[in-house]
Amino acid sequence: MAQEETMLPDDEDDKRLMALVADGDDDALRLLVHRHHARLVGYLRGEVGSQATAEELAMEVFIRLHRAAGRWRPEAKLSTYIIHIARNLVLNEWRRRGRKPTTALEFAAEPGDQSQDSARRVTELDEAFQRAIAQLPPEQRTAILLVVQQELPYEDIAQIMEVPVSSVKTWIHRARSRLRELLKDFYGPA
Amino acid sequence: MDNANRPSFERDLDASLSRGREVPVVGFAERVVTAVRADRHRRKLIRWSSFATAAAACVVTILLVQSPSEETLNRQTVALVAREESTQLADLLGIVDDLSLLAPVAEKSSIVDVLATPGS
Repeated sequence: MAQEETMLPDDEDDKRLMALVADGDDDALRLLVHRHHARLVGYLRGEVGSQATAEELAMEVFIRLHRAAGRWRPEAKLSTYIIHIARNLVLNEWRRRGRKPTTALEFAAEPGDQSQDSARRVTELDEAFQRAIAQLPPEQRTAILLVVQQELPYEDIAQIMEVPVSSVKTWIHRARSRLRELLKDFYGPA
Repeated sequence: MDNANRPSFERDLDASLSRGREVPVVGFAERVVTAVRADRHRRKLIRWSSFATAAAACVVTILLVQSPSEETLNRQTVALVAREESTQLADLLGIVDDLSLLAPVAEKSSIVDVLATPGS
C-alpha cells in the first residue's frame, strides 16, 4: 500500500477507473481517491492554510469528480483535472467567505534523525514560508504551489489556470521575487 | 549570519513546499465513498420529487382543461334561461297565432281607397 501511495498514478489506469466510477463502482472510486487524495489535500492545504478546510474541499472535489465521471473525456491527465476542480473550488470558497487563506498552518515537522535544533529550524522556516505564501496574490500562490510543490509542468499549470503559459511563467517569477522580499530576514535582500 | 552562510532560498523553498506535497489522510477514501453515496441518494430523491411534481402538475392541468370554466358555465346558464324563455314565448305566441285566425281579412289598400273616396 505504501508503495502504491508513492507511485505516480498511471493515466491509463485512471481512465479505466473513471469509466468504472461512471458506472457506479464504489470500489473504483475508493481506489481513485486513495491514489489522488494525498496530493490534492497537500495542494489545498497550501492554498487555504487549514487542514480541516483542505479536507472539506478535497471531499467536495471527489464528489464533483464522481458527478462528472460520465461526462469526463480523457483529454487531459486526471490529476490535472482534479487540481482544476480544486482550484475552482478554492476561488469559490474565497468569493463566498470573502476571506484569504489563514496564515497559521498546523505544520507537523518530521524530525527524523535530525537534531532538535535542526528540527526547530525546519519548523520555523516552514512556518515562515507558509506565512509568506499566504500573503501572495492568488494567481502567484497557485502558480508557485503547482510548480514547486506539485512539480507540474508549465503547460499543465496553464491548463489548470486556463491562461497562457507566458502568464504562468510571469506569476512564478513574481512569486519568487515577492517571497524573497517577504523572507529577507532569513535570506537577506534579493 | 553572513551572506555566504545563508541557506539557499531556492533550496529551502523547494524543501519547505515539498514537505507539504502529500498529506495522506487516514480513512479519507471511505469518507468520500460515504459522502458520494449520500449525494447519489439525495440527487435520486431530487430527481424523483421533481418528476412527481411534474406529474402532479400535468394531472392538475388536465383536470383544469377538462372541467368547464366559469365563462363556459355562465354561457350554459344563459343558454338554458334563454331556452326556457323562448319556450314560454313560443307558448304565448302560439295563442297569438291562434287569435290571428280571428282577425278580419281586409287588405290595407282597400281600406285606404274607401277612406280616400270623397263622400264616403
